[in-house]
Amino acid sequence: MAYTGVTPSARSRGMVRESRHLLFTVAPGATWIVIFLVLPSAYLMGVAFMTNGPYGLPEMPLSLESFRRLAGFGFLGWSPGNLYTLLRSLWQTLVSTGLVVVVAYPIAYYISTCRARWRPIMLLLVVVPSWTNQVIRTFGWMNLLAPGTPLSNLAESLGFIAPNMGLYPSNFAVTLGLVYNFLPFMVLPLYAAFEKLDTAQVEAAQDLFASPVRAFWHAVFPQTLPGLLAGIVLVAIPAFGMYVIPELLGGGKGMMLGNLVANQFAGGANWPLGAAGAILMLIATFVGLFAMRRIGKRLGGGEEVVI
Amino acid sequence: MSDTIATEATESPGARPAGETTQAEATREASSIEMKGLHKRFGRDTVALDGVDLTIEPGEFFTLLGPSGCGKTTLLRILAGLEEADDGRLAIGGRDITEVPPHKRSVNTVFQSYALFPHLSVRENLAFGLKMRGMSPARREARVAKIAEFIQLGDLVDRRIDQLSGGQRQRIALARALVNEPDVLLLDEPLSALDAGLRSQLQVELLRVQKRLGMTFVFVTHDQQEAMVMSDRIAVLNGGVIQQVGPPRQVYEHPVNAFVARFMGHDNLYPITARDGDRLTTSLGELTAEEAGQGELLLIRPETLDLLPGEVAGENHLPAVVSERLYRGSHAEYRLEIGASTLQATLNNRGRHLPEVGDRVTVSVAPEDLVTLSE
Amino acid sequence: MRKRTLKRGLTGFWWFTLAFLYLPLAVVVLFSFNASNSAATFTGISLRWYGRLMGNEEILSAFANSMILAITSSVIALGVGCLIGYGMYRHRHRKLGWLIVLIYLPIVLPDIVFGISEMTFFVQIHRLTGLLQPGLGTMIIAHITFQIPFVALIVYSRFVGLDPTLFEAAKDLYATPVKRVVHFMLPTIKPALISAFFLSFTLSVDDFVISFFTAGPESATLPIYIWGAIKKGVSPEINAIATLMIGAVALAALISLVFSRRRQA
Repeated sequence: MAYTGVTPSARSRGMVRESRHLLFTVAPGATWIVIFLVLPSAYLMGVAFMTNGPYGLPEMPLSLESFRRLAGFGFLGWSPGNLYTLLRSLWQTLVSTGLVVVVAYPIAYYISTCRARWRPIMLLLVVVPSWTNQVIRTFGWMNLLAPGTPLSNLAESLGFIAPNMGLYPSNFAVTLGLVYNFLPFMVLPLYAAFEKLDTAQVEAAQDLFASPVRAFWHAVFPQTLPGLLAGIVLVAIPAFGMYVIPELLGGGKGMMLGNLVANQFAGGANWPLGAAGAILMLIATFVGLFAMRRIGKRLGGGEEVVI
Repeated sequence: MSDTIATEATESPGARPAGETTQAEATREASSIEMKGLHKRFGRDTVALDGVDLTIEPGEFFTLLGPSGCGKTTLLRILAGLEEADDGRLAIGGRDITEVPPHKRSVNTVFQSYALFPHLSVRENLAFGLKMRGMSPARREARVAKIAEFIQLGDLVDRRIDQLSGGQRQRIALARALVNEPDVLLLDEPLSALDAGLRSQLQVELLRVQKRLGMTFVFVTHDQQEAMVMSDRIAVLNGGVIQQVGPPRQVYEHPVNAFVARFMGHDNLYPITARDGDRLTTSLGELTAEEAGQGELLLIRPETLDLLPGEVAGENHLPAVVSERLYRGSHAEYRLEIGASTLQATLNNRGRHLPEVGDRVTVSVAPEDLVTLSE
Repeated sequence: MRKRTLKRGLTGFWWFTLAFLYLPLAVVVLFSFNASNSAATFTGISLRWYGRLMGNEEILSAFANSMILAITSSVIALGVGCLIGYGMYRHRHRKLGWLIVLIYLPIVLPDIVFGISEMTFFVQIHRLTGLLQPGLGTMIIAHITFQIPFVALIVYSRFVGLDPTLFEAAKDLYATPVKRVVHFMLPTIKPALISAFFLSFTLSVDDFVISFFTAGPESATLPIYIWGAIKKGVSPEINAIATLMIGAVALAALISLVFSRRRQA
């Protein structure tokens, strides 16, 4: 029988039905996110290019004034305050991420070497504190680091701090708070990497390289790299935009970008300046995600780890 | 095109009150299936079915056989209503059901993965179809008990799905489909996930069930042995086109083309270079066939050959050298060299002499066993 | 032998890290039972701070706000997220990159950017139209926005883990579209739905930053109240309310975990 072609009705009917189904299931949520997140973010980005009005609200005309302010140029000429805040954010992010890696790596390895039935419980123990409200956890550290507490007294007797000062507010307290806050975010992906570790490779490396250090470097470390990268993304991005921890533990000299931005929408209102800071944070977020995705792809199989 | 198909779709089969179909198995009328000009494409270029016309008789065990991607599963899914044909008509039991959705068709499927609902017990799985058709709990229970006895499920009905082995799941899947007493039962490679021993056991069981119920079964497989064991008739598909339809013996012994021959396991195919009536010349030499036909390929089935020791002159006798022998106990498989050509032969082990590798032998074949076919 | 030393060292480090993780919480719990006002010395066990909570109108209303916010937003997010999750599954063979970006956006956006975007948007809409006055309503909207992706991803991954022929088996066994939802899809993803609800609930109760920026003067939640109390000067009552929250959130999260386990099984 000659095949003369497809009757369009059955096919197109099916396609219309599928499209309607997609619309019905996805549209409510997608619309919700567009209206209540995409539009607001787009508006916020627009605000960054507007002029600061009398009550901190944005006004026309468009200008780059807020970016100049962010870089430190104000009415009284240039001052380094904002730049310090930016650099401090970067520095805190770097230091706390590094410390988190240093603590999480051996912990993740240790969990993976324990008996299989204990591992889920051990992971649970690591994760449970992060389920508590961030404000409460930070408040716990305030209690621990306040003047007159054992930790403060110890630091005082060792000469690290002046008498009756306490360990907070300080940059040290912020770093500690960040490490505490993000430790589980690093342990989980690293543990996943260790659990998948190909032990045959490790044993082969132990045969080939006499020293355990070299065996680790050649056989173990490369295999855990995707997990490590995922952990770095999960820690560094939110750390850079952190608000609660520096606000409570840092004091005036511990301010980070998050506080600078937030302050522009509260007391000393300047929406365009805050929005410019938010744009900076967004750029950092997407650059971080993009970079990790690229590196992850090059390492192979890292793609699904990132997102 | 569809005028031979009855189009009295007055009432869809699934819409019948479930009670009316509870007749004794023996008195059930089996249903026929008619397909006319079925076409199906996926995406732009993938042609799954390219004009399928097929009639399946009531009560038949009918097998769709072919390699993966030949369209056999697509055809089965169109019968089930899980896929819509782009073109063509389909009727079951004389009713046109081309546009009837799956849940309104009195057709049930045994899926390759069994597709048992993990959130339900075995008993609830068995009763699912009856419940969906609105049968009362008491009648559902009676029907489930009846089918459980018929398939000899024993205490399996009280287990959870994750407590079942592969073979047990297969039987539950079969029972879950049969309990609905459909007009047609569709089976999508239902035995392919099982190991060889269990598989042949369940082949026999499935065949017995079908014969006792007299229901129309449409079975999909890529295994030609399985198809031959089970089927009343086989349709061999390739590239979305039916190549041959017939009883297993006919398809195996008289394949209509090289594709069917190769798919049924034949390797001894030789182009005919010259013919004089029934005398055919191939690279093996000259052979006489009883009814040569018009095909341009000669098929020699390995089990029709006989091997005589030494050189023996005679009609349809060819001198050959044994290059390989696989001893299999009940029989032995030979690879023979005739000039530049090779020939496969299978010899039953009836206590006679079995030639060794390197032996010179004479191949003998009866004229009535030679078949020609087209490329 | 070196291996054994390494293992012993790691064991020690493990216990040290655990102490580090639980010390701040332990201090909060311990001092909630402190008899004295001091935040530095423990003088004896007392329940007086818990008693004070009961009489504190502000705390009770903050608690009520937290519950209304968490339950309302979780229920709505469950419905909307469940639909998206199913849509993503059913149409997973299509190119849905834009949808994936949209779903991940609330997750990757830094909290502070999320919070101030919504706040500026709500403020301007309110100025223009009088709608969306900052308060519980705006907080519920903001919370739903960050809960939807989690619900959608949990539901989606449950569907992906199913044998796709189950959907066809349900059709084949005479289930109409509505019956497929009621008798097949919903029962099958029930553990995922429970897990998603409790996760949403936990996320909502846990959130501070986004709530802080979208709240109105009358709609302080517990974290916002605690924040204010800390800023005003530490009061031992905070330890008591914080201890109760630690207990409640840990319980909800444990339930979510139990159901996510069952989901995988």
